[in-house]
Amino acid sequence: MIKKLFAPLCAALLLLGMLAGCAGKQETSGELVLYTWEGMFPQEVLDGFTERTGTKIVYSNFDYDETMLEKLTAANGGDYDVVIADDYIIEQAVRSGLVAALDKSAIPNFGNINPLYQGQFYDPDDAYTVPYGAGIPLIVYDPAATGFEITRYEDLWNPALRDAVAITANYRVINGITLLSMGESMNTEDLDVIAQAGEKLLDLAPNIRLSQDDNTQDALLNGEASAAFLYTSQVTQVLAADPSLEVVYPAEGLGFGIMAAFVPVNAPNASAAHAFLNYLLEPEVSKACFEWLGYYNTNGAADDIVDPQLVVPASVTSGEIIQNVSEAANDAYNRNWTAFKAACGQ
Amino acid sequence: MKRGRIWLCAAPLYAFTLVFVLGPALYLVALSFAQNTAGTGFCWAFTLENFARMRDPIYLKCFRESFRLALSTTVLNVLLGYPFGYFMGRLGARGKRLLTFLIMAPFWTSSLIRLYGWIILLQVKGVFNRVLLWLGVVDEPLKILYSYPAVLIGMVYALLPFMILAVYTSVEKLDWTLVEAARDLGASRVKAFCTVTLRLTLPGLMSGVVLTFVPSMGLFFIADILGGNKIVLVGSLIQDQMTRGGNQPFAAALALVLAAMTTLMLWLYRRLTGTSELEGVV
Repeated sequence: MIKKLFAPLCAALLLLGMLAGCAGKQETSGELVLYTWEGMFPQEVLDGFTERTGTKIVYSNFDYDETMLEKLTAANGGDYDVVIADDYIIEQAVRSGLVAALDKSAIPNFGNINPLYQGQFYDPDDAYTVPYGAGIPLIVYDPAATGFEITRYEDLWNPALRDAVAITANYRVINGITLLSMGESMNTEDLDVIAQAGEKLLDLAPNIRLSQDDNTQDALLNGEASAAFLYTSQVTQVLAADPSLEVVYPAEGLGFGIMAAFVPVNAPNASAAHAFLNYLLEPEVSKACFEWLGYYNTNGAADDIVDPQLVVPASVTSGEIIQNVSEAANDAYNRNWTAFKAACGQ
Repeated sequence: MKRGRIWLCAAPLYAFTLVFVLGPALYLVALSFAQNTAGTGFCWAFTLENFARMRDPIYLKCFRESFRLALSTTVLNVLLGYPFGYFMGRLGARGKRLLTFLIMAPFWTSSLIRLYGWIILLQVKGVFNRVLLWLGVVDEPLKILYSYPAVLIGMVYALLPFMILAVYTSVEKLDWTLVEAARDLGASRVKAFCTVTLRLTLPGLMSGVVLTFVPSMGLFFIADILGGNKIVLVGSLIQDQMTRGGNQPFAAALALVLAAMTTLMLWLYRRLTGTSELEGVV
């Protein structure tokens, strides 16, 4: 009976929704061209902005950061009102003079931003950007299997974890956490320090069970590893599969990637753009966005209401983004990585 | 006129070879002498540094590891594949058809999927360990996956069909009356096998060796998947340098040296067997 009713009910609900959509439409006052990857916003967040301001949102998307920069350059910083992209490409856009300084008086919620994600290399004075989500590789472990509490990167070196650690396979990230564990910067270009990190990595080798970028989290679930260093999406997946696992926000500091929003220098509708950024910084809106996206919440004012899994504890105060380094330093990082991998197989 | 027309027929093939074989090969050679720059770029300034860098013990070790793995894979394939191919060649027509089908069938699915199958078999909570525990052979599950033996299993598995088919083709062509003649003249079974059968099937065995050794020098994804990325082969080093490492000239130089090494193998094969063709398969 219920089954029979289900389909017509769904259809009726859909129809109602469509009617409501028609009825709710207001007179539009201009439009806002939003330029970012596909699938960055839940539809109700976009609709909410249109409902409140009457500004229609035109969602335009790109596949790669580089495409965005090309188009924005071709448009001479026009055509688009709000752009959301990755940290490193924003640095290039700012340097090319394509990004407008924000009018913070038009963004009263600017103070909501979690300072952890501010002052980064792409915008050291927080003049141009509003962060929109962070990806943070973290340690996840099975307390029953490790037999001790993990609180920092350094704990991965513990001999008790012999042949029991799974890690991602990005050479800069793994060099980076080694440097963080030594109290150094992830982006150091000091060849002596990099060589020291290489030595230290060799000590980690006996603990490595596997190192790969795809499905690394499976190693925790199928019993191959008892601790793992994982990307954000993998952390989310593995915790959903086995809630008894523990997440660690390493005490030495985080390495992360940030997506941020900016207003191009010749944005056709800059006032709407500022209103939109202010809207995104409302706690309820942030909650809807980040829970839907699965990236870490960058809006400090929303920390209490967002899914706790997407909130970095207040105890964590430092974080760094991996940037391009000099050729010599990059070669040294590469060499460390190859030596490390070879040592893992011994 | 006639000659011109023949040339026209062959032109597309020539064009294809020039554009898709010779062109990239020349680009590879040129790139291996180019200078790497910061980030992922490079510039066309002549340098030998990419080759000099290979003398670093770390990178020499990659070549050694690749060679060791290729050699063990080939030896195991000879030990497993020769008897298999030999007895397959002695079966009746139906048996041959059935076995050929069974050997070819796995190729209908992606090799990647078959490797993931091995993960399911070998992992700590996998089929293999469960059977061992059930039989009481071990008390604790073995950590086979992500180790050298796991990689070796995967390599032998992936390349065994080539060895079997090469030996099989050779055995099938064998004139058995020669073996009978040897037996009639008083040779023991073993002696007849060694002096007649083995001699005459040697070209098949050798082409099997080439067909397993040469690809196994470059097959790195098996080591990545079943070895947990812990066995660094030249192939994975090239991939690392090409993508994440961002040093394309060094990757090109490594690829060039690897190609030179496999060419040397083929040359040795020709010297040893006195033929230029790979028996059976090619």
